[in-house]
Amino acid sequence: MTTPASDRCRSLLEQLSKDIDDELTPAERRSLTAHLRRCPCCQTMADSLKHTVDACRKAGTARLPADVRLRARARIATLLASGPAARPRT
Amino acid sequence: MTIAVTKRAETNPSTKGQDARGTDYAALLRAAQGGNQAAMERLLMKTQEIAYRFSLLVCGHADDADDAMQEALLKTYRHAAQIKEPAAFRTWLYRTVKNACLISRRRRVDEPARLHSLDEVSMAPDGSLQRIDVEDQGRRPDQVMENSRLRQSLHRALQTLSPDSRLIVFLREVEGLSTRDVAAVVGISEANVKTRLHRARLSLRQHLEAP
Repeated sequence: MTTPASDRCRSLLEQLSKDIDDELTPAERRSLTAHLRRCPCCQTMADSLKHTVDACRKAGTARLPADVRLRARARIATLLASGPAARPRT
Repeated sequence: MTIAVTKRAETNPSTKGQDARGTDYAALLRAAQGGNQAAMERLLMKTQEIAYRFSLLVCGHADDADDAMQEALLKTYRHAAQIKEPAAFRTWLYRTVKNACLISRRRRVDEPARLHSLDEVSMAPDGSLQRIDVEDQGRRPDQVMENSRLRQSLHRALQTLSPDSRLIVFLREVEGLSTRDVAAVVGISEANVKTRLHRARLSLRQHLEAP
């Protein structure tokens, strides 16, 4: 497990999260990128943090298992056959 | 070297309000409200997909999934037509799914809690648990193994977070809600969401990197 060592490195941890969310200003990004070039420890940390976030995001794109999907479709068919939903309020 | 992260809809204004699969919930709701049956069916399927993922990843109870899906389905069907602001539909949907999953859990509160991996189980019509098939068709066996290992690790890592942090990670990272929408669903400030999300990411990273 890699953990940034210096105070400077620790202070950049939050910026790594902001970078993932595209919330850094151009100046902040330049500064972070420059630091990552010089600091293998932080570069490893940045890479592994991005891998972690990517793993979560990929979990959101997985389709339902086939048997679960079949039951979900059957529920919808039963519900729609039972009658119309309430009309929009005016 | 940096690693590109799967792009988040919020960073692209043209895809704001869409999920990781590009679903525009407001447009889908408007079409369903206008009487488009295919749109209503898609909306109801999306609702159940969210309830399923919520049950497994946030509640950690695969055996609640069918109940939660049914509850979320009924609520969405009954109320979708009455929602006046389609732009707010997505946050309403996640609040509804969250409540549906909690209701399902309370009904089973006397049953022993069991944790299952995303790769391990789904519930058969007879109530038994069985291994689920995941979307790995067309991938090499080593990729399937790697994806399966990663999903199991992620599931275990998520269960180490506090329930609130797990919910925030689920809404923001897995489902792709904006920090504003996550704040609305959870009922905390955006700043608080960002702080907790950052801590949760660090914690998840530690667990995913642990041997």
